[in-house]
Amino acid sequence: MDFFDLRWDIIWNYRELFLRGIWVTLVLTLSGYVGGIILGVLIGLGETSKRKLIYWPSKLYVDLFRGTPMLVQILIIHLALIPAVFGQSFGFMVSGITALILNSAAYNAEIIRAGIQSIDKGQMEAARSLGLTHNQAMRKIILPQAFRRMIPPLGNEFIALLKDSSLVTVIAASDILYAAKVVAGAYNRFWEPYLVAALLYLILTYLVTKVVAYIEKRFSNDYNPRKKREGRVEQ
Amino acid sequence: MIKVENLHKYFGKLEVLKGIDCEIKEKEVVCVIGPSGSGKSTFLRCINLLEEITDGAVYINGVKVNDAKTDINDIRTEVGMVFQQFNLFPHMTVIDNIIMAPMLIRKMSKSDAEKLALELLDKVGLRAKADNYPQQLSGGQQQRVAIARALAMKPKVMLFDEPTSALDPEMVNEVLDVMKQLAVEGMTMVVVTHEMGFAREVADRAIFMDGGYIVEEGDPEDLFGNPQNERTKAFLGKVL
Repeated sequence: MDFFDLRWDIIWNYRELFLRGIWVTLVLTLSGYVGGIILGVLIGLGETSKRKLIYWPSKLYVDLFRGTPMLVQILIIHLALIPAVFGQSFGFMVSGITALILNSAAYNAEIIRAGIQSIDKGQMEAARSLGLTHNQAMRKIILPQAFRRMIPPLGNEFIALLKDSSLVTVIAASDILYAAKVVAGAYNRFWEPYLVAALLYLILTYLVTKVVAYIEKRFSNDYNPRKKREGRVEQ
Repeated sequence: MIKVENLHKYFGKLEVLKGIDCEIKEKEVVCVIGPSGSGKSTFLRCINLLEEITDGAVYINGVKVNDAKTDINDIRTEVGMVFQQFNLFPHMTVIDNIIMAPMLIRKMSKSDAEKLALELLDKVGLRAKADNYPQQLSGGQQQRVAIARALAMKPKVMLFDEPTSALDPEMVNEVLDVMKQLAVEGMTMVVVTHEMGFAREVADRAIFMDGGYIVEEGDPEDLFGNPQNERTKAFLGKVL
């Protein structure tokens, strides 16, 4: 059985393709995630708005992008939307990043909305009773607390996006999965390339969980950056 | 100092305040008592517009609070509020809770604000807790910090919304003592409370509310000792 007869040398021969795949996966995921957070904050705040003209489009956006498969979104954006708007394709990178931004924005928006709405109403009231404006209270009191609660779900969303970025292989993006497919096609062997692809994704997601855990700890109340009040003079 | 005219408040179709008229003078301590659901907290929250006023008017120092031209944030800096649930900011230390608003709104320097905060913490007996986070404090301590936080804005009036109702019994007095001290120093105070002893001892005037109306008001000794209205009698009969 060839399970016990793995030929890792074929991976080594294609190492550059895999390295490029890691690079492409990271660029796609990071760009999609950062863009998705920025857009997600706007839409998430929109979902907490009392104004109907802001609330309903935000809600509709989230429903549309959460309710349809990312694979379908990628194909529509790459094959239909971008050619229709610009008259040409700009390659998998532009299409892929666009699709990842638009998709993750919907999930991030929900995380941000839920984070904001999870903060006790009394916090806003206490801030307003001291004379803070709504925006000041948001910035100083609500968002810093909401952000802490958002860290774990936003970390999950990053990991999900990292894995979902493999869907861009359908538009011939040269990511990790694409490298594995090329090797599989060239040698007609499947264990080695796909196991390596899985392992690479696993390593990347593992690193992300470590970063998220660090950030979570960093923003907890127990974390005390070098006793920041040490220097205060006691009157 | 505070003047309330024909104040009405609806929550949807439910009328919670059915026409309140009342005046509170400078340095006066007024306790508002009454059964739950009588509208006393809503009344208090209408004064600094935490609740929208459906009809009527509230004036603070002659300025109409519920007027589109009035900057409500300015008014609120003059009106301190203490909540039943303390509502300290859990992501900030005790001292940061206190200095936040003076620095942000009064543009006080950090060192001045900290000096003021430490003085106020001295006053409420919690200077040693300056660098703790709120959740490391007991309920009574948290409420005393909340009072210090409100005082840091140097308000002209303090509103207390059932400040001891969420506390364990043994912590009630430490909060009431701080409030008594404030009253002695001449702070204008409106206190919604179930602490009849406090109302009797400290208040200049007691107001009994029921069903969205002020049913009876007057000197606490008279109101508690010799209530005129049947509903006041019934309520005091149950709580005293």
